[in-house]
Amino acid sequence: MGMQGDFFQLLKEQGYQFPAPSHVPEGSRADITRGTTILAMRYRDGVLVAGDRRATAGNMVMYDRTDKVLEIDRHSVMAIAGVPATAYEMVRILEHSFKYYRRTQLQELSFEGKLRAVSKLLKDNVAAALAGTGAVAPIFAGYDHDQATAKIYFYDILGAEFEGVEYAVSGSGSPTIRGILHYVNTWGGQPLNRLSEEEATVQALRLLTSAAEFDSATGGVNRETGLYPIMKLIKASGVQVLAEAQLRSLFDSQVTRHV
Amino acid sequence: MYEEPYRWVEAIGNRRRYLDEQFRQGSPVIALSYADGLLLLTAGRGTPKLYEIYDRIGLGGMGHPADLEKLRFGLLEMAHMEGFNRSPSDVTGARLVKYGLAPLIKQAFEEIFKAPHIVKMLLAELGPKAERDTFLTVNYDGTFEEWSGCAAVAATLDVQKAMVDVVTRSVSHMTAPFQEALRIALHAWSLGSFLQQKDHETPEGTPTGAAQADGHAPPLPDDLALTAHLREVLTGKTIECAVLERQAPGSSKYRTIKPDELRDLLPDGLKG
Repeated sequence: MGMQGDFFQLLKEQGYQFPAPSHVPEGSRADITRGTTILAMRYRDGVLVAGDRRATAGNMVMYDRTDKVLEIDRHSVMAIAGVPATAYEMVRILEHSFKYYRRTQLQELSFEGKLRAVSKLLKDNVAAALAGTGAVAPIFAGYDHDQATAKIYFYDILGAEFEGVEYAVSGSGSPTIRGILHYVNTWGGQPLNRLSEEEATVQALRLLTSAAEFDSATGGVNRETGLYPIMKLIKASGVQVLAEAQLRSLFDSQVTRHV
Repeated sequence: MYEEPYRWVEAIGNRRRYLDEQFRQGSPVIALSYADGLLLLTAGRGTPKLYEIYDRIGLGGMGHPADLEKLRFGLLEMAHMEGFNRSPSDVTGARLVKYGLAPLIKQAFEEIFKAPHIVKMLLAELGPKAERDTFLTVNYDGTFEEWSGCAAVAATLDVQKAMVDVVTRSVSHMTAPFQEALRIALHAWSLGSFLQQKDHETPEGTPTGAAQADGHAPPLPDDLALTAHLREVLTGKTIECAVLERQAPGSSKYRTIKPDELRDLLPDGLKG
């Protein structure tokens, strides 16, 4: 019938191809731009998703104001690690396909449906991921209205989907903070999911600062130029972006060491 | 037999009469700008007639539900492909109507061996400022008109005009808060519905409704008569209302007003 609200199908019918067919000659794929550290963690009111701002190509800093935490609709975000060119295109497709579904079918796409769409894009992208030109390992977080809770999922570059019950990390700086998250969540006094919004924000700022300490591809905070990580909260009411002023005040009071 | 020009003109005339007849009992749609955005309103028996087309575009329609669905899907496809391939700001109501919807409807109308689309449609597009809100109406033969401030679709062009006039006369709708705008829209809708009903009751062949033989419009019903009419009509129908809000968070500005919310805002006599 062609009235199923499938945006992927519509793209195909209109001759759009994702991903672009990739054949990369050996030795020509050295310095592809990549994005780095992202994290998502549950806190008392929902999920906090954060990402540093750096994009690198080999040893070069390509850009220091990248937004890696992208809103797909009012209740879901995708944080991206890997090749931004592919990741941004995925986000564009997802954004339009969720909207298209809602508007044609007159109902919101289910949370499972949204997860499925992310997996599908990653699976379609396997060839480019293995060729080294389009590997993306995202974190998808959103509010599941059926279960009245915010959830975190993370993916490998082949599209396998894993639920991050308490937290998820991805990108080159992630090994550093994964250990810290495990430690804090287990022995940190209170588990992450009991933290208030402010406590969770401070944790995320400290975690990304630690990642930047040990990973050259992760950008840190630069107070002089007003450069702070992107942080977004997912709650029942929708996605909320944390303002730079708020991050600055928390960073100054609780992250910087005044020796 | 249609190869003679006269036959063709006659066939088109028949088709117009047939289509006019189809809309006589339809529910009009009214759309207007207010302080915080745009409002669309109609009343129906269950099947929704107001829809979200794109980030800043809403649709109201009357006619056959299957035709409406088919054309709505066409609009959605065109809008989303354009928004994806270019940019959301390149998706405009005017382009959707002029290069998509209107030619399709006109073609179906003139292919006299095939069924025409039984639809009248209204596209409302939220501009960056109230003065730049635009409305487009498309008739069953593909003719379209662009409006600002407010627009309506109804069984006849006379009724449409009466609805638009009553909104325009209310002066302040552009700066009115939502509840006041809702009252104005409801007033215009009841007027449209009232005039259509009168047209319907008058025997065919006599000049009716808003357009009398002497060219003078008949006196409009007073508020009391309209409220009584509205109360009567709403026993079998429910009010449907949607808004496009300029300050809504995120890119999608369209929101359906839920029945509970609507009930609280309706004038006292209509809360049901």
